[in-house]
Amino acid sequence: MKNSPILTLLADRLMVPLLGTTVFIALAAAFFHFNGYPPGKIFVQILKGAFGDAFSITTTLGKTLPILLCALATALPARMGLISVGAEGQLYFGALAGTAAVLAHPEASAWLMLPAMLALALLGGALWGAIPGVLRAALGVNETIVTILLNYLAIKLVEYAVYGPWKDPSNLGWPATMAFPGTAQFPAIACDGVASNWALPFAVVLALALFVLVEKSRLGSALALLRSNPRVARLAGIRYAPHCIAVMALAGMLAGLAGIVQAANVQNHLQPDLSSGYGYVGFLVAWLAGQSFLRIIPLALVMGGLLSAADALQLFAQLPYANTLVLQALLFISVLGVGAARSKWRRA
Amino acid sequence: MSAMLGLLSVALLTATPVWLATLGETLTQRTGVINLGVEGQMLVGAAAGFAATYLSGNPWLGLLAGALAGMALSCLHALLCLVLGVNQIASGLAVLFLGNGLSSFYGTTLVDKQITGFHSLTHSAAARWPVVGQFIAELTPSVYLAFALWLACAVLLLRTQAGLVWRASGESADALRMLGKSPARWRLAGILVGGLFTGLAGAALSVDYTRTWVAQMTAGRGLLAVGLVIVARWNPWLALPVALIYGLAEALALRLQSLGMNVSPYLLGTLPYLVPLIVLLLSYRASRRRGAMPQELSGVFRGMA
Amino acid sequence: MSKYFLSLLCALALGVAASAQAGIKVGYVYVGAKSDGGYNQAQDTGRLYVQKTVPGVATNFLENVPENAQVTQAMERMIGAGDKIIFATSYGYLPYALELAKKYPQVTFMHCGGAKLAPNLGTYFADMFEAMYLSGIAAGKATKTGRIGFVAAHPIPQILQDINAIALGAQSVNPKATVTVVYTGAWNDPAKDVAAVNTLVDQGIDVVGMHVDSPVPVIEAAKKRGIKVIGYHFNDESFYPQGWLTGGYWNWGPIMAAVVRSVEAGTWKSQPIYGNLKSGAAKLAPFGPAVDAQTRKLILDKEKAIEDGKLNVWAGPIYAQDGKLMVPKGGVLPRGQVDAMSFFVKGVIGNTQ
Repeated sequence: MKNSPILTLLADRLMVPLLGTTVFIALAAAFFHFNGYPPGKIFVQILKGAFGDAFSITTTLGKTLPILLCALATALPARMGLISVGAEGQLYFGALAGTAAVLAHPEASAWLMLPAMLALALLGGALWGAIPGVLRAALGVNETIVTILLNYLAIKLVEYAVYGPWKDPSNLGWPATMAFPGTAQFPAIACDGVASNWALPFAVVLALALFVLVEKSRLGSALALLRSNPRVARLAGIRYAPHCIAVMALAGMLAGLAGIVQAANVQNHLQPDLSSGYGYVGFLVAWLAGQSFLRIIPLALVMGGLLSAADALQLFAQLPYANTLVLQALLFISVLGVGAARSKWRRA
Repeated sequence: MSAMLGLLSVALLTATPVWLATLGETLTQRTGVINLGVEGQMLVGAAAGFAATYLSGNPWLGLLAGALAGMALSCLHALLCLVLGVNQIASGLAVLFLGNGLSSFYGTTLVDKQITGFHSLTHSAAARWPVVGQFIAELTPSVYLAFALWLACAVLLLRTQAGLVWRASGESADALRMLGKSPARWRLAGILVGGLFTGLAGAALSVDYTRTWVAQMTAGRGLLAVGLVIVARWNPWLALPVALIYGLAEALALRLQSLGMNVSPYLLGTLPYLVPLIVLLLSYRASRRRGAMPQELSGVFRGMA
Repeated sequence: MSKYFLSLLCALALGVAASAQAGIKVGYVYVGAKSDGGYNQAQDTGRLYVQKTVPGVATNFLENVPENAQVTQAMERMIGAGDKIIFATSYGYLPYALELAKKYPQVTFMHCGGAKLAPNLGTYFADMFEAMYLSGIAAGKATKTGRIGFVAAHPIPQILQDINAIALGAQSVNPKATVTVVYTGAWNDPAKDVAAVNTLVDQGIDVVGMHVDSPVPVIEAAKKRGIKVIGYHFNDESFYPQGWLTGGYWNWGPIMAAVVRSVEAGTWKSQPIYGNLKSGAAKLAPFGPAVDAQTRKLILDKEKAIEDGKLNVWAGPIYAQDGKLMVPKGGVLPRGQVDAMSFFVKGVIGNTQ
């Protein structure tokens, strides 16, 4: 046993997730028990509400997509030491820009519509991401505060558009654009009653591509050097400004994609409550995953499942809706705490 | 009351919770720890403060309870990042989500409850003083409290020996160790004091300013406060002007609406975020030096600590 | 195989839920907290009324469901749990409810405030503007400056109706009265509500009304500044008796119970149900001590006239903000235009978008 490096490696890799999950279940059980809900029943309900039937899986996948993309949009800048909280705003602005394409030519054919909508959404997201990137690179302005402020700004701009010039008169005052035509939707995929669209596998491919790009190429080491030692990076000929701007723009594109999928496929309009805070949940997932593009994928799924089970918990277990927020936090605390404790113990 | 003073009073009242939170987070960050959980601590403070006022009938007890609740939640941040060594950004987020969740979960029973707030001075003798009377009468106890705390903190932090050590733990942990002092202990103090202030900020919002509790009533002001610390360049003196700029933008947006200006309320609503952004850019342009940030924080901001 | 297994699981889950009650199951979806002292609590009070008065009925609810695609999932969960009637209580749920109505023809949907129907989707709303018109009379009598303020969440038709009705009511007794509108841009941001009231008072406003989720922050702020207040959604007089004039509140129970009974009896028809003062779905709140006897009598007389169909809030002449004649003397604003209200009447200061 002690001579088997594979087993040791496996134990090493699995220890944190397993122990973290155990601690999470213990904390959550304590929370439920303390508040007078039977923990066992609730856990079964969570699993059912997240993955129990085709409907639940559909809901879970629907929430996984924006969380995944927003987590990637957080993790990529973090690789070079940029703390971006801006996925939420990039999501909104991407959706706003993409919607402009739809409203400009709603009658265009799918072949024209989809690429145009997607291109504008990516461009919009990229712009919203690049602003803090440029400010950081050119003036040294802290990107965290700029991304926070830009989040609020983007949301207000969307509200302005849908309560104002873009409001569809046939909505009788309901604040939203006209319904997107079928040509402006990402093709659906369905399997055994579970429905999603092609943006989801695309997002997973993006995560894998980022993994290869950052972990397996020189770009990754350049970003790591920029993060750990910008001075040495400069000596090595790696320039800060272009990397900073490009990385932030790319992150913005990822979140912008989430935004336009949300508008086109999920809501079918541009409207105020576009996101349900996916940008912030994505931020949480990215930091939970330690900025690893691979670990983000399953964690986004778990978080999507947890959010999806929230309704079921209210309906079947009469839990107040806020329990989901508590559960998210407990999951976060357990996995982070166990991970940190383990590396501390290993160092000692 | 003159139009300008009216605008200023709305601005100051709006700014006070943000002012307190910015001040608290500045104190935390000056010890070399960042705590993104301000929003969660404010919410817990708002809920606990409202509950305590409801049960005791005394708004001062409410403010105290709110402050203590904020501090209690900040202990989690201390545990995670000081004891276990969790990344500070991640740990702060956990605090944010937990505070949001706990306050919403336990706060449902507080919704629609009626409390007796502080006695309003708007019809007292003070209100009849010339020029500033009405202005002074409209300010509430938490504004005066914030003012006193702001003065005390800025003087203590920048003008005393203890303040020097406080700042040193944020500038160089090694130097502090050479002096035979433990940086972890000072950071613990930084986190707890930050929790106290942000909890108070939340209670000021629920107990004093709005006399109401609803879930997520901070509406992003805590996260904003973390950002405003940067705009204020980690200087406690600047916490007031920076929070006031936010408050003024908020007040101006409402004022312009009430004057019947023909601009979308949503565009006016961008002002509270646009104006701090512009101030931030101008202040970065105006001063060449970029180094207002406590040195120990630069590692955190690169995702290393 | 997997499908079979899944449906078995579903059946198990639902069986447990359904076996508890034999009668019809009714689901309620709320946009905010069910005890918000405002809009949602009024709806939930209706739910409790149904539970109490309709024998054998079982109700369930989901709180804090945003007006986006999440509500589709929420309602599908309810249908999965066996709900046969769903009250979609928020205005922005309409497109999602319409979509689902197509998918689940055996379920009856009731949407609050909408103006679109489907074979199995009806709407219910109450003409709160009638109560707001009457409250406007109280406000017009009470104001010394002639300036009334209104704190609004968003520029949507229902809110524009309320504001116009207050203005028309106030002008009926005080022709120079104006209504100044401030939007907070949020259903639920108490600090903004308070700042809005303070801003209005600084402009010389001495009576304020509101349409946000919870009226409490506005009432508390009015109390602090010592101005009069018109309530909304819920009877909140106890928060500030001295300054309370009157207001409007909802009484959804009877409408909801009638819907549930008619679905059970198989007589339900898809139609818009407009409750009003007469049907008792929208109610005029009790008067506060600040309203004198003469004004009370005037308002009660007008209430009677409205109930008898002798007084229509939207009877001409009605002029728009810019002085344009919208409804000529002798005419009445058509129902469709009331539902989709998109203009302010003369004397309102504010934007409609």
